[in-house]
Amino acid sequence: MTPDFLGSFLISGLFDVVMVIGLALLLHLQLGLARIANFGVVGFWGLGMYTFGVLYVQVDWPFGEPFQFLVCAAAATLVAGLAGLLIGWLIGDLDTDGVLVGTLGFATAVQILATTQDDLTGGARGMGGLDFPYDIGRVKDNEFLWLAITAAVVVAVLFYAWRVHRSPYGRLLIAVGGNEPLARSLGKSTFRTKLWLFAVTAAAMGLLGAMNGVMAHYLDVGNIGVGVTLAAMVGLVLGGTARVWGAVVGVILTVGLFDIVIQSYLPLPKEWYTQAIPVLREAAFGAVLILVLLFRPLGLLGDMRRDKLMGKIHGR
Amino acid sequence: MVADVVDAVALTRPRIRVQGAVKSFSGRVVVDVDDLVLGDRPIEGLIGPNGAGKTTLMRMIMHSTPLDRGRISLLPAGGGDVVLSSLPAHGMARRGVVKSNQVIMDFDKLTIWDSLLLAVAEARYEQPHRIFGERTLFARHADEIRHYLDYFGFADPTAFAMSAGEKKLLDIVRCLLLRPTFLLLDEPTAGLPDELTEKVMRVVRDLAASGTSVVIVEHDLNVIWNLCDEVLFMAEGKVILRGDPPSIRANGTVVEKYLGEGHV
Repeated sequence: MTPDFLGSFLISGLFDVVMVIGLALLLHLQLGLARIANFGVVGFWGLGMYTFGVLYVQVDWPFGEPFQFLVCAAAATLVAGLAGLLIGWLIGDLDTDGVLVGTLGFATAVQILATTQDDLTGGARGMGGLDFPYDIGRVKDNEFLWLAITAAVVVAVLFYAWRVHRSPYGRLLIAVGGNEPLARSLGKSTFRTKLWLFAVTAAAMGLLGAMNGVMAHYLDVGNIGVGVTLAAMVGLVLGGTARVWGAVVGVILTVGLFDIVIQSYLPLPKEWYTQAIPVLREAAFGAVLILVLLFRPLGLLGDMRRDKLMGKIHGR
Repeated sequence: MVADVVDAVALTRPRIRVQGAVKSFSGRVVVDVDDLVLGDRPIEGLIGPNGAGKTTLMRMIMHSTPLDRGRISLLPAGGGDVVLSSLPAHGMARRGVVKSNQVIMDFDKLTIWDSLLLAVAEARYEQPHRIFGERTLFARHADEIRHYLDYFGFADPTAFAMSAGEKKLLDIVRCLLLRPTFLLLDEPTAGLPDELTEKVMRVVRDLAASGTSVVIVEHDLNVIWNLCDEVLFMAEGKVILRGDPPSIRANGTVVEKYLGEGHV
């Protein structure tokens, strides 16, 4: 089933790219349209992953796969969505600095909880026992199928974001991000709009977290650090926060380039893979962020073009 | 007899009552209105020197500037008072109370069409799951929007509003599309050429004739004298005079504090 050129390392790299594209697309809805600078992406993603893991491993379910996966993933999505609702309620009326600190604080709280709730999460030791909701033979085949399923979910997120741009809801998000007092004067409840946006996108981040847990098999608190948020943010900013395809292009050029091309095809010393590469990755992403903000603040694809879009949808 | 006629007219259109409303900035009282009813006449003008508190009063009514104390109520034509000063800012438009902005305000990333579709969009089309609602929304409101676009002569409504005048007009059209029952206009014709000023005045007259109460703040006094049924003169945060345009125009206090000797 799996093409020969796809080794486990390449599948894992592609999975990371697909996962970060999904997160960057959801971040695009928050930051690119509604101008909510969510620096706690990994918090919702991690909460989904750990909720899924705890339910999957710790609960003795009376039914087998794929229902066990479906129930646990649905619960993870719900919990992350509720967390989004709560955090959205707390930060809904704050300015950009407040949103930044609030969301970053939430992500930190999730990581601390995952570390300290030893009985549930395995703490710093981590938690194993997660598996695919199917078994089609070789490990590589199972991984490839999971990559395909995750890619399908991310394509659905991409389609949703693309449709949002062409809907009254997308227009409302842009209005809320552009001029909140003016939107309010038109009878728009900007607080409620931001609240539901946060809840829906956080729920989707939670679902992606659960899917990541399945692929990882083993949950480690080290994987829910700020690096995930940084990867999604840098990819989105590089591609263009206001453009749907900005998330795709930007993440391919950052995570794709680094995690697949550089790590797979550059002859790097083997000892680098354990310690140096993760640090180099974050340093490189930070440098990309600085350079983009200095020289092309709107990203490679530039600003959104509502004039072209409206002309295309409704004619001139 | 005259009072009875006025009362009868007032009952058919919404009014706004301002009671004991006070607003201070840095210890300076900017608005101090004891008891004021707006909307007794179809079109009322609010005039006064700079710093009189006209715009602040308008903003207090819309709850975009919170009151230090007092109460502002909407008295709808059909009865049943609504305390506006306890509503959230977005609740005003839903009650039919709409205000245009003195300072030019726009959505930089939305085109003219976008901006107008946003104004008319019902909340049910703006839900996260309604991602296929654009065509329905457009079909429902395109004719109404096109009517205003043609009337005011927007050059390319699929583009962004560029000039200050275009943005000012866009603000007014947004207000009209909200189908206001009580419309507050804060310097609506500032910066507009005469031809467009005339068009705005015509629209306001039509709107008032159809039952909407209009209060207009304007420094172009020709607009006030030609358009308004009643004029309120405000100074130092209080409404100190009200009457028909000729009587206000001839009043010694207004001439002294605002118009100047050469105006009458």
